[in-house]
Parts: sequence; C-alpha cells; structure tokens
Amino acid sequence: MGSADILSFIIFLPAIVAFILMISTTKVEDVRNIAFITTMIILVLVMKIYLNFEPKAEMQFVTNIPWITKYGINYNIGVDGFSLTILMLIAILIPTSFLMLWEGRTKGYWINMLLVQTGVTGTLLSLDIILFYFFWETMLLPIFLIIGIFGSGNKVFSTIKVTIYTMAGSLFMFVAILYLGVAYYNEYGVWSFQYSDLTTLSLMSYDEKFWLFLAFVTAFAIKIPLFPFHTWITGTYSDAPTGGVFLLSSIMAKLGIYAVVRFMIPIFPDIYIQFSSWFVFIGIFGLIYFGIAALMQDDIKKMFAYSSASHLSLIAAGIFSLNAYGVNGALYLVIAHAIATGGLFLLVGLLHDETGFKTIKDLGGIAKKAPIFTFMFAIMLFSNVGLPSTNGFVSELLIIFGIYEFNHVMGYISGITVLIAASFMLWLFQRAILQERVGAQLQMRDLKIKEIVGLVPWVVLIFLMGIYPDPFIDKFEPTVTHFLNDILRIDEILKSGVVK
Amino acid sequence: MIEQLVYLMPLIVVLIGALALMFQSMYDKYKIKDFIIVATFFLLIADGFAIYHFGDLFTTKPFNDIFNNVIIFDTFANFFNIALISGALLIVLIGEHYAQEQSYFKGEFYSILLFSLFGMMMLAHANELITAYIGLEIASFSVYIMVGFNTEDSKRVEAVFKYLVLGSFIGAFFLLGTVLIYGATGTTNISEIATFINSNYVEDLSLIYIGITMILFTFLFKIAAFPFQAWVLDVYRGAPILITAYMASVFKIAIFSFFLRAFLQDFISLNTFWENALIILTIFTLALGTWLAITQNIVKRMLAGSSIVHTGYLMLGLIALGENMASAYSIMFYLVAYLLSALGAFGLVSHVIADTKVRVTYDDFRGLGQERPYLAAMMTIFMFSLAGIPSTIGFIAKFYVFTEAINAGYAYLAVGAIIATAISIYYYFKLIAKMYFYPSHAENLQDKQDVGRVSTYTIGFVALLVVWGGIGSAIVFFIPIPSIDGILSVVELSVRSLFLN
Repeated sequence: MGSADILSFIIFLPAIVAFILMISTTKVEDVRNIAFITTMIILVLVMKIYLNFEPKAEMQFVTNIPWITKYGINYNIGVDGFSLTILMLIAILIPTSFLMLWEGRTKGYWINMLLVQTGVTGTLLSLDIILFYFFWETMLLPIFLIIGIFGSGNKVFSTIKVTIYTMAGSLFMFVAILYLGVAYYNEYGVWSFQYSDLTTLSLMSYDEKFWLFLAFVTAFAIKIPLFPFHTWITGTYSDAPTGGVFLLSSIMAKLGIYAVVRFMIPIFPDIYIQFSSWFVFIGIFGLIYFGIAALMQDDIKKMFAYSSASHLSLIAAGIFSLNAYGVNGALYLVIAHAIATGGLFLLVGLLHDETGFKTIKDLGGIAKKAPIFTFMFAIMLFSNVGLPSTNGFVSELLIIFGIYEFNHVMGYISGITVLIAASFMLWLFQRAILQERVGAQLQMRDLKIKEIVGLVPWVVLIFLMGIYPDPFIDKFEPTVTHFLNDILRIDEILKSGVVK
Repeated sequence: MIEQLVYLMPLIVVLIGALALMFQSMYDKYKIKDFIIVATFFLLIADGFAIYHFGDLFTTKPFNDIFNNVIIFDTFANFFNIALISGALLIVLIGEHYAQEQSYFKGEFYSILLFSLFGMMMLAHANELITAYIGLEIASFSVYIMVGFNTEDSKRVEAVFKYLVLGSFIGAFFLLGTVLIYGATGTTNISEIATFINSNYVEDLSLIYIGITMILFTFLFKIAAFPFQAWVLDVYRGAPILITAYMASVFKIAIFSFFLRAFLQDFISLNTFWENALIILTIFTLALGTWLAITQNIVKRMLAGSSIVHTGYLMLGLIALGENMASAYSIMFYLVAYLLSALGAFGLVSHVIADTKVRVTYDDFRGLGQERPYLAAMMTIFMFSLAGIPSTIGFIAKFYVFTEAINAGYAYLAVGAIIATAISIYYYFKLIAKMYFYPSHAENLQDKQDVGRVSTYTIGFVALLVVWGGIGSAIVFFIPIPSIDGILSVVELSVRSLFLN
C-alpha cells in the first residue's frame, strides 16, 4: 500500500470489517473489540497523515481513478488542511466514543457504527461531487438503522421523519449537482463532475446560479440544521440512542458546515458574497431562537439538541462573515463543539441509562454520587459555553470578532447572546447535577476507568486548544486564506464597494 | 447460411422450448421441478446464443428472401434479447419456491411463459409494424392466460377480464395507426417510413401524425402510463406475483424495445408533435403512481403502484430523446436496473408468501430482520435500489436519466421527478422500518428456515448484481471486476447499430 492509497484504506477499512463481521457469527464482545481496534488503526493512520501533511492550500494524498468514464465521474479523493482537521477530529472522536458506549450494545449497533465511519470519512475526502453525494447519502443509512432499531420512545416516526427530511433535501441537491455537470458539459464539451473542474464554470446565468445555490443550501441547512429546517432535531435527538445522537450532533452536523465551505464558496462565489448578510442574519437569529428554545426544555437531550443547533447557527454566521476571523473561528468551533457536544451527549446518555431519567426536574444530587462524572461533565459544559482557557472560548471570540467586522450591530448581538447561552447551561448544571434531589437519592455509578481513558484525550484537547491554538489553526488557515483571497477575492470586492 | 441461423437461434430455441414444455405437460408424472429444469435449460441455451454476439456491432436481416425485411437482427435487438431471456430465467428461478408451494401451478405455465417470451423477442426484432403487432399479441395473449392462472383467487376473473378486454381494445388502436401510416406512406416497414418522413414536408404528414398518436396509445397502455393506468392495480393484484413481476419488468422492456426502435428511427424528427402531450402525461403518471403507491397497504400493490412511478421516469427519458439522443442509453440502462431491482423485490415477496401463506401486507414483514436477516438485508438492498439510494444500480440509473433530461433542457421535469423520488422514500423505507424496527410476530417464528433454496440463491445473486451495478469497479478498485462502464458501452453500441447503413 503506497502512501497514495492510504486514504482509500482509511475510508473502506471500517466497511470491510463491518461486512466481515456481519456474515460471521462472532460474539458481541469480540465484535466490539474488533470494531474498536479497527477505529484505533484508523486513528494511527490519520495521525501519520496529520504529521506528514504540509501546511499548504492544495490537495494532498490524491487518488484519482475513473469510475464512470462516459460522464467523467472519477473516484477522486484527497485531503487539504481543512478536511484534514475534521478527519483528525472524527478519527479521535469515534474510538473514544466506543469506550463510552462499551457495555450493553448489540452486534448490529457496532456494525452500523463502523459503517457510519466509512460514510463520513468518504464524504469528507471526496473531491468528485458525485462521489461526495454517494457518501453523503449512504452515511445516513446506518444512522437510519441505529435510530430505528435501538432508539426509544416514538422512534419509528422520528426515524422516518429525519430520513425523509434529509433525503428530500439531498435529492434537490442531486438535481443541482446534475445541472452543474450539464452546465460544465455545455461549456467545455466534456463531462466532468470533479470539484476542481466545476469551480471553473463561468457561463451560468445569475438565475441559474441562484437556484442551484438554493438547492445546495437547503440540503446542507437541513443537515446542520439552520433555521427554519430544524424541526426534525428534537424528536430525533430525544428518541435516538446515545451513539446515534453523538454521531448526528458531533460529526454529521459538522459535515454540513464542511460541505458549505468546500462546495458552495468555490462554486458560487458571487452568490455566496451577495447573500452572506442574509445567512449571517439567519445564523444570529438561529442563535437566539434556539437559545430561547433550549431554555424552555425540561428534557436534557432536547435541551442539548437546541443548544447544539444554537452553536451551529453561530458557526454558520461565522462561515458567512467573509473574513478570516469569522471563518477560522467557525472552523475552530466546529472542532471545539464536536468535542464538547459529543462528550455531553455521551455523558447524558450514561446518566439516562443509569438513572432512567432524562428530565431536569427528576434529576439532582449527581455530584455527590459520581464526582468524576460531574468533573468531566463540567469541563465539557465549560468548553461548550466558551469559558476562557477552553477551546470554546477561542473559537467563539474569533467568530464574534468576525461578525463584528462584518456588521457591528450583529457583532454586539451575537456577543450578548453567547453570554446568555452560557448562563442557562450553567443553570442546567446546577439544577440537574449539583443540587440535592427532592425525594429519594438516585442510583448513579461513577465513570469507569475505560470511560475516563476515553474522555481524557478530549479534555486534553479542550485545554490544549484553548491555551495554545496556533498549531491547530496553522493546519487549516492556508486553506481559509486561499478561499477568501483567491476564490472570493474579498479584498477587491471590499474595495470596489459591492458589499458594504 | 449457418451464420444466419446462429442469429436466429435464440428465437428458435425459445420456441422449441415452449413446444417441448407443452408436450411435457401432457404427462402427469412430471412435477413442477421438472418443468423448471427444462425451462431453465432452454432459456440458458437461448441466452448463450444471444450472449455469443455480446459486444459485437452488427445489423443483419437473415433469410431476407423469406422474411422480406420484417425481422432485423442487430446489437440493439440482441441487447434486449439478453435482457428479456435473462429476465424470464430469473422469474423461473426466483419463483421456484413459490411455484412449488402453490397448488394451482401446472407445467403449462412454463410453456406459456416461453411463448410469451418468444412474442417479446419478436417484438424486439420487429422491423415492421404488422410483425410488431403479431409479436405484441403473442406476448399479450400469453400474459392474459398467465394472469388468470391463480384458480384459488377470486380476484383473478376481474383481473383477466379487465386486462383482456382493455388490452385487445387498445391493440386495435395499434392496427388502426398502422393502417393510417400505410395509407400515407405505402409501407409498414420502419426504415422506409423514416425515409418517407424525412423526404416530405410537414403538411403531408397529417395521417402519419394521427397514426402515431394511435400507436402511442397502445404504447402508453402497455407501459401503464397515465391515462391508461387504470388496469394496473387490479391486474397486478389478481395475477400470481411472479406474473406481476414479469409484467412490471420483462414485459415493459419488450414494449420499450420496439417503441424505442420506432421512435429513434422514424418518429424522432416529429418529436415536437408529441412532446408537450408527453410532458403532461409524465407529470400525471408520476403524481398518480406516487399517490397509488403511498396509499397501499399490501406490499405487492405498493410495488405495482411504484412501477407506475418508474414508468414516469422512463417517460422522462423518452421526452428527452427528442433533444438528446444519448437519452436512449439512459432509458435502456434504467430498464435493466429496474428489471433487477423489481424482480428482486417481487421475488422476495413471493418467497415470503410461499412460506407464510398470507397476503403480505406491510405488517407481515414485521420482524423479518430478526427472523431471516439475509432475506431482510436483500429486501433492503432492493428497496434502496428502487428508491435510488447510492451504492445500488438504481442510483446510477436515476443519475443517467436525470442527467440526460437536464441536458436536454428539461430541468423542471427533473425537479418534478425528484419530488416523486423524495416521496417514494417514504413507502420504500416504511417496509425497511417494518422489517427492522418492530419485533416479529411471536407465533410464526419459523421452524422451517430452509434458506438454501434455488430461489434464495437467485435472489441473492440479483442483490449482488444490484450492488455491483451501483458501485462498479472504481470505488472498490482493489477487487478486479468489470466496471459499470461496461454496461454503458454495450448500450451505446446497441443504439449505434440502429443507424448502421
């Protein structure tokens, strides 16, 4: 295996292992162990890539093989600074989440978790837009099964709802992708769906671009979710099993953000700039709206669902803020939020499994019973609300700078809202974890060694990224600068005064 | 002489097979299994002769002094021959379990099946309208008989009668159209009609226009497009499920084989005439099919309704044909993709019926994922493929059809079709949800789980094909298998052979 194939190996290893496990009659424990080892192998390989990666804007480790030659569709994968950061994130998050989910799962659960990893990594590394769509759709199928089979409550309804919701969005994007391919064919006389080729399209009319942009943005906004495409989240997050919630919130939502940056900025730069203020507004509005909605929830899972949506809206606002502060901050928050939310959902899942409650009013007195649990919970929560010296702080600060530079008023609003969000999260912490419970004490075990080992890397990352962010930002900053200066040509546009 | 005979061999073998099965069925001592073996034998030989020419580019009219130009053998027809024979073969093999479990199945069934296949192959080879009519009627009459084969089902009388009366009635339109075209052009030969159309002005063609409209009626009826779809649900319901599958997939391919040839060679230059009407019909076909599929509770009827939706996608390709010849490839690829996915789905339902003897509503699929994980996994693959989820052949097929439609300038129709697709996810995924998300019925936890049957192996083989068609060799480039590019180049070659000489 040459270094060129290493990415393919990373993508397909989980799927291959999953298929082998599927047809074998291995015991659940062995299935879990094999799955864990697989993800650890991937982590090692990704580490290797991360260290060998040169901080440049261009694609590295590229594999390009024809797939459907008549339409110029290639199996084209590669990694740049931006996708590498998220790749690293996924590679770390998944094995450690396995440690948190260690006990009491079935064989199908682990197999589906492995399949999800193939889907998300493939989505992340695809440089051909049909290949991207291929993985984008397939990563939903294991999630569909995880929620439907292992969920609780009104799980079938939630599953069908989230599936149809996201797939309908994706299908409109599918038409838009085909339209782009046809436009390329009409312009250059050959078929191509390569990402790098589609960015050279120049003959499309404004109207065409506008509708295509809309189709793309719908698909990604549903996945993220942005207001008003968020209605699937509460039901899904509350009924899905812990692993499913973790995957949806801390990995798949991030891929929506990733796809916006990867595909929409280079393919529709002018529309992107023109509508950026709309999306910053939607982002800020979502930040406030979801914040208030979170405040109203009694179900912790639903509350985190809304708070997660609120943060993702802030990320979206940062992405559309058209300056290096905002975009860098948004990407940084993608990582910070994935760690914090992932950790919180896993811990809440544990809390729910142990005590049987997931509503704030039923909980309390956890701190005495489970001090380490409380400690970990607190760190994740602090990172989530952006307390100084955590990575959440760095990223939120950068985004607020970015939004401020974009528009002063919106900058003030986002600053204040983030503060309010912090307060209600801490209030939740006080009510559900610290405060004595009325009535009998809850049965709650503390974290096991395995779980602590799983969470420690996250805690280290939270503080490391909070105190010394430079090495992390260095990996993706060249890409961001490249996007802003070479593709969007922000400086020229600002000078020419098209955008205020 | 010998070489010309080789071209005819698939047709001859199927005909001999049909006759042999007919004689065999006069003896009581043969069981269904024996008939299946004989039918498989003849179909395999016929398929072998057809595949012999696989990948060649040729067009020939063997024994022309006898047939007088009415039968043509080219790559195009050969492609459809392979698809039709393979489809019939899969029906026989997948239905092996079902046919043995149902008491009404007799040996004649296989004889009639081969006769209908003979008719369909003739349709694919027809270079002349009357010959096409004869082929169509041979196929149709055989199917009428097979629809009524289920003597235990009270619905069959309605099904047979409806289909027979309507089908014969609409067949008359075909003849009428042929007569009018003959009146205008003095010929019924397809290539000569094309010459006539190309050498005359639009004013002289009014009879041809009316004739085409009549023929189009037959076409739309047979593929169950709006407004000729009313028979579908009842007929599909009353027929044995194998025949439902046969009609939905194989018969549809046969219909397209002739009409695609006629459109491409003759009527393509007149596309503006039927374009607008066809657009409206496509939209209604999609809408109605979606509505029918979504309201059904019996899986077989849902598949019947969804077959109308798939007809709508094919019509989308047909509309695009006027602007964009490459759309023909997409139609042919879609037919193959639908053949595989639908045969698999129907076949699996038949398998479940054979085991449990129930009508097979959605609820009967509850817990199949626990009881029979392999069957459930295969059903999931077929549902994904029908819904056009990536990693199945159905996705690639939809990709082709939609791309060519957009390329021909029908982006808004593609959006309409994609809405139908989005809704279709609901009724396909509902079945998957029933299989995996509910516990199984406690009472029929199977004692006889004989998975190792010919039918299950065949279904598994089809499922494998569906996945292979969707992934091809690029994504799993480390496994050396032929790529889906192969199918596409064969399809291209087929269409090219229409325009040789």
